[in-house]
Amino acid sequence: MTTIITKTITKVCIPLVILFSISLLLAGHNNPGGGFIGGVMFASVIALMYVVFGLKYVKTFFNPDWAKWFGFGLTLASLTAFAAMFFGHNFFRSAVEFVHIPLFGEIELVSAGLFDIGVYFVVIGSLLFIFKNVGDDNE
Amino acid sequence: MDSFNAITAAIFLPFIFAGLIPVMEKLLKQRVGWFAAATALTSFTLIGLAAPEVLGEGHIVQGSISWIPSAGVNFAIYADGLAMMIGFIASGIGVLIMSYSNGYMSQKEDLKRYYQYLLLFMGSMIGMVFSANTIQLFIFWELTSITSFMLIGYWRHKPESIYGATKSLLITAAGGLAMLAGFLLLRTITGSFDLATILSDPQVINAVKEHELFLITLILILIGAAAKSAQGPFYIWLPNAMEAPTPVSAFLHSATMVKAGIYLVARIHPIFSGTDAWFILVSGIGIFTMLVAGFLAFRQTDIKGILAYSTISQLAYIMTMYGYTTHHEPGIGVAAATFHLLNHATFKACLFLVAGIVAHEAATRDIRKLGGLRREMPITFIVASIAALSMAGVPPLNGFLSKEMFYESSLEMGALLGGGFTFLIPACAVLGGVFTFAYSIKLIDGIFLGERSKEHLPEHIHEPPLTMLIPPAFLALLVILFGLVPSLPIHTIIEPTVSGILLETAHLHVKLWHGFTTSLMMTIVTFILGILIYTRYDRIAAWQDKFNARFPWISVNYYYDNAVNSAKERAFRFSTITQPGNIKYYMTAMLLLMIALVAIPVITLATNIVPSTLNFSIAPYEAILLLLLIVAALAAAVLPKYLPAIIALSALGYGVSLLFIYLKAPDLALTQILVETLSTIIFLLAITKIPQKYKEIIPKSVLFRDLAISLAVAASVFVVLLNATQGIVAPFESLSHYFIENSLPLAGGHNIVNVIIVDFRGYDTLGEISVLCLAALGVYNLIHSRGEEQ
Repeated sequence: MTTIITKTITKVCIPLVILFSISLLLAGHNNPGGGFIGGVMFASVIALMYVVFGLKYVKTFFNPDWAKWFGFGLTLASLTAFAAMFFGHNFFRSAVEFVHIPLFGEIELVSAGLFDIGVYFVVIGSLLFIFKNVGDDNE
Repeated sequence: MDSFNAITAAIFLPFIFAGLIPVMEKLLKQRVGWFAAATALTSFTLIGLAAPEVLGEGHIVQGSISWIPSAGVNFAIYADGLAMMIGFIASGIGVLIMSYSNGYMSQKEDLKRYYQYLLLFMGSMIGMVFSANTIQLFIFWELTSITSFMLIGYWRHKPESIYGATKSLLITAAGGLAMLAGFLLLRTITGSFDLATILSDPQVINAVKEHELFLITLILILIGAAAKSAQGPFYIWLPNAMEAPTPVSAFLHSATMVKAGIYLVARIHPIFSGTDAWFILVSGIGIFTMLVAGFLAFRQTDIKGILAYSTISQLAYIMTMYGYTTHHEPGIGVAAATFHLLNHATFKACLFLVAGIVAHEAATRDIRKLGGLRREMPITFIVASIAALSMAGVPPLNGFLSKEMFYESSLEMGALLGGGFTFLIPACAVLGGVFTFAYSIKLIDGIFLGERSKEHLPEHIHEPPLTMLIPPAFLALLVILFGLVPSLPIHTIIEPTVSGILLETAHLHVKLWHGFTTSLMMTIVTFILGILIYTRYDRIAAWQDKFNARFPWISVNYYYDNAVNSAKERAFRFSTITQPGNIKYYMTAMLLLMIALVAIPVITLATNIVPSTLNFSIAPYEAILLLLLIVAALAAAVLPKYLPAIIALSALGYGVSLLFIYLKAPDLALTQILVETLSTIIFLLAITKIPQKYKEIIPKSVLFRDLAISLAVAASVFVVLLNATQGIVAPFESLSHYFIENSLPLAGGHNIVNVIIVDFRGYDTLGEISVLCLAALGVYNLIHSRGEEQ
């Protein structure tokens, strides 16, 4: 799997796919996409990197603690759910706000979007955590 | 700040500040305890802000924030006198304990963890007492169990700590679950989780008392209360909980957590009292526990052990008094119980803190090795004597007053019941008092009087630093103050509390000197008998030890240890039967269940298995795709090696995603492709580590059996699908209209699928992502625990 061609293509792919995964995440509210798909997309490109370059080599320059990612995601998602209570709404009530920005047009701010970002991080973190641990196991 | 906000802040401040402890620890180093004490003081002040309204004007502060309104679960606060009193005790004693800990805890200890747990505990306790919603009360209740578990097991290297912590968690948390069941039943009867709603409506309360579920509801709730307050057979966790650091014992096991059960009994008093069941259960548990615990205290050689048993028996006093009630006069002992609740918090916390001082200075807590410390620690001696004499019920201290009230209410209760009870109930009360007198005197005599033992104690023992001396001294001052000027606590806090429990305005008159009454006679009898018993103290203890050695099965601990120690073995036996480890076995069980689930409705409904109208037209591209899917599925099942089988499986997955594209579900197709890719890679990673060929010899009979099961499953799935479009059950309206119409106006999204996931059914998604996290942690543990065993 470690031919020059796959290595080169992987290098090109990584930033593109990551950008695409973020766009999927943000597009999710109105178009196909969302936190789950975006997260899996992100995870798959990192998995590709692990497979192509080898886990050991990748870990020398890129070795985040994926457990922290899913911990953060779960916290963010739970906090989003609780946040509504501080504004006098019930648990998990989401809020929508349409904001008009000059030159950019109308965008909408949705509290559910924050929840989606939490999902995104949970998916990335837990998938890559599993991936790394299974791949790292030398027995 | 209005009262509702103040109390909400008082509840959540400790939680937030517990999170700040690591930061503060970097700034303050070992002085971080003062930060914790300041937090407790802030909570105390915040509760105090609500005091003028609640205690002064007699209003009940209520308020709620929607949480899960559809289930009747809200964050709701109900602050009456009772809640205020326990709230004051929890935060006020918290201030003293955390200040004291600054001197007590060695600087090498993990102070961060210690103060974090303490603050979390205090927050949970305050949250519990101000809860109006029973579900919220349950959550805070179990939080106190969990935080106390962590505090008791604070010294993780000591097996006794682990044992004590586990025991307290098993008993108090299990009791909490019984209580939850009780609350659910209470909701079935009243239709509300909201205590304020129930308490404010006399008709609802009457309905509860007449309901057929009354008794079982009461018993379930009382199990929770008794487990928490170490009453009845559940007392066994409290002595073992003494493995916690002494300030923790003083806080949890004398002043606050053990009061939670008492608080609950007082809180539900208006709903359940005035019935025979209430008197028999509450007073019965109370009297039984009072006598047993008072008697068992003799055997203890550890100071904290004696204090633990004395706490159990003192709580039993309070429990007994709350139980005193008849149909005509509910709440005979409420005032006495409430006053004793306050007094007990002062003198017992003080005694625990003194025990901590003694252990700190003399390096032992064994009462057989201690003695004669009065010369070296005169101030500690005085403080301890005040508290112990108050517990013994000696005038003019506050314990005397509440004990007089205990005797008075016992007399009144006995007289009201008539017959043999006229004497039996006061006699039990006096006997409890006699035991209390004996062990209280033992504490003073054993530690401070008599000869100083040379061989066991360090050469120089001196008074502790002021940080450790001031908190118990302050409590001793309160003991004297409440004793000499009883009107002070009575008017400021006891009267509003009693009004809160009885739901009517109460006026009490408590005086130090109240004439030669029967109860005073009973006190004199108590003292005489107490002194007599004290002269036989060691002989009783020796006899108890001998008895226990001969009949070990007489103690509750015997049964607890049996159950817990054999749990592992029993679980092992159970799991070898239900989980033999072969995936085939589990699959068979699941598939058989699936067949049954299809077969039962088909047979019972006796519908036509094959619907009358069937549409067999399939587009050519669909047919080709289906054929491909079938080939891939067959290949995955029959290929002899793992690698090709996995590739066939992923081909099947990609085929399904193609199907999704045809069916115009791009979201699903995208997800399917990505998940398929990732799972194939993970599969391949794992597969390289196991032998590549199946080497399984399957007997023919098993093969036929499996074949039969597979065919049956396929047939049942086929039947279900055939009927799914036709409606095996009466057709109901599709839900999709609702989502199509509301996803834009309510949630602002055009992508209905995603809106459903993150908004309409966000709670589900939260559960799912939690499962994902747990799965990741599970994989980690699976891989790493195997490494450890090798």
